Amino acid sequence: MMSKTRYQLHWITAVMSVLKTLKEMIVPILILVFANGVNDTGKWYLDYLTFLIFGFLIIVFFVTGIIKWKRYVYWFEEDELRIEYGLFVKKKRYIPFDRIQSLDYTEGILHRPFNLVKVSVETAGGSASLKAEAELTAITKEAATVIEMEIAEAKKRKIQGANLDEEFIEEVEVERESLVRKIFALSGKDLLVLATTSGGVGLIISGVIIFLFQFADILPIEWAYREVSVFIKSGLLLVAIAVFLILLVIWGISVAMTFFAYYGFTVQIDDEDIVITRGLLEKKRVTVPLNRVQSVRIVENPFRKLFGYANVVIDNAGGGVVGEGAKINLFPIVKKEAINTPLGELFPELVLEKPTNKLPARSKRFYYRIEFVWMVPAVAALSYFFFPFGLFSFLIVPIVISWGLWHHRSAAYEISGNQLTMRFRAFSLQTVYMMKNRIQSMEMKQNYFHRKRKVATVSAAIKSGMGAFYAQVKHMEEEEAERILAWYEPVREAVVVEDLDIEQ
Amino acid sequence: MRGQPSNRISEKGLRVWRLYGIIQTFFVLLVAIGVGVLTYIFEWQWYIYVIAAIIVIAYAYFFVYLFPKIKWLRWRYEVRESEIELQHGLFIVKRTLIPMVRVQHVDTSQGPILRKYNLAGITISTAATNHEIPALVVEEADDLRSRISTLARVADDDV
Repeated sequence: MMSKTRYQLHWITAVMSVLKTLKEMIVPILILVFANGVNDTGKWYLDYLTFLIFGFLIIVFFVTGIIKWKRYVYWFEEDELRIEYGLFVKKKRYIPFDRIQSLDYTEGILHRPFNLVKVSVETAGGSASLKAEAELTAITKEAATVIEMEIAEAKKRKIQGANLDEEFIEEVEVERESLVRKIFALSGKDLLVLATTSGGVGLIISGVIIFLFQFADILPIEWAYREVSVFIKSGLLLVAIAVFLILLVIWGISVAMTFFAYYGFTVQIDDEDIVITRGLLEKKRVTVPLNRVQSVRIVENPFRKLFGYANVVIDNAGGGVVGEGAKINLFPIVKKEAINTPLGELFPELVLEKPTNKLPARSKRFYYRIEFVWMVPAVAALSYFFFPFGLFSFLIVPIVISWGLWHHRSAAYEISGNQLTMRFRAFSLQTVYMMKNRIQSMEMKQNYFHRKRKVATVSAAIKSGMGAFYAQVKHMEEEEAERILAWYEPVREAVVVEDLDIEQ
Repeated sequence: MRGQPSNRISEKGLRVWRLYGIIQTFFVLLVAIGVGVLTYIFEWQWYIYVIAAIIVIAYAYFFVYLFPKIKWLRWRYEVRESEIELQHGLFIVKRTLIPMVRVQHVDTSQGPILRKYNLAGITISTAATNHEIPALVVEEADDLRSRISTLARVADDDV
């Protein structure tokens, strides 16, 4: 049926694709231009060869960008979102509305002036082969609403097909309207705390280093080295100040980036969906259907905990490749005591109490003993080669042991009905709440020493995007580990029915 | 104490693992010979020959004899109506529980060596994880695959 209206993306798509390619090309271009320089061979076309090539390439990108945009069309047919695209090879992608889990919106700087949005279609991709995501780079907001309406109508038709009671449908509709309510909003103060304590610093530093390495070949290293040595001679204090200033600037950038990204962060609940909106320069709207949430995690970073803050993360089963994906920051930063009310509103079935079962004292050793494998040789070598100052390396032993004991003390677990709660520490303390029917598989691990001491590690695999997240409590009581496994073990049919009765 | 899963993998699996061990040992041997030749040419210390020989022998002992044996003795599986239970591991014994309702698909696969011994491996995939039962007689593997997929089909796919 060619009669269906076919929609095109906004022309800004072409500009965006050109800019994107240019952004990827910028480093090679710069390197080539610098490395080659402007020679003087007398023939102008040789002198400017690199420029000519890149000029030509840019024109090619521009043309392909326009063609790609021209050829990208989408339309609705037979309860499917159909997309046709491709530069040389014409590709078609049909996404049934049933499989569309949510539409996520992003408004970048280029979208703003034209009142456009980028729409990411998130599908319930169970396994990789069923992956059918799509991204409409730039369409008007009205066009986005049209897509939403088409999907909603198709779903309504389906319900009507199931039961023909018109009034009932209308009632549902009315109820739906009133169900949109705000659950959580980031206050200005919290946003500042989030930005200033954001862990993005390391990321940016490594980014800068990587960027510098890109230029390492063309930088006059020896010259720089001489300059640096002069610089160092001029006083260590100056160096320290310079380093500090650089770190300060990097930190400032990271603060600003977090601030822009999380500005106006709100969580709403719309019927069966969680809707998260955020962003200042680039506005994002992400939708997560409640029934796709696999686990709820409360993460307590020790630094933030000092000020009584924590953050809440959820694992989402959908998407993963395009857009926000797997791990979603539900409450990026929240006062510890203010978590339970909004979280309880979102997930009324969750028991949000602290897990109470701790680990036995005899499992303490497992938290640090393995570290001696590298500690003993390292300390011995340091003490031998750097005697007497190397002896200070012995200090690492109590530090590592207390680190291990800290982890031991933090670990806890609890079974409450169909819910398993696990708490463990990496650096941040994580408390994971999961329902039995969301755990994909469970594993109990024991090595020789574990068996001798009757302890075991239990790990539960949770689907998170296309991959898995493993929640595990290490070195717990063996009997308890077996109890958890027995709890997880599906019971025989007859008993299952009984279980369901109790639930209702 | 939980009882162990009831089924073992094929005894031929042990032979395959030994074969893998022999192939690996062969490469270690090549490296050792290389080192030996260099030692001879450059007149390094004599004990390098001894160390190289010990490494090769130890490698052969562990990877041809001991580890495959432990691995094979440890490997057990059981496919019940509502769950699959696996037990495996060399130093760390892992016991995995996969409820039938979580199984998304089952594959059998076979490399050239496995084919020669008429063996196949089964991979059980859930939405998030993959689990492998390594060496089963082909008929048994096919049987198991169809059994698991029938049992798994009964369940709804609420991820």
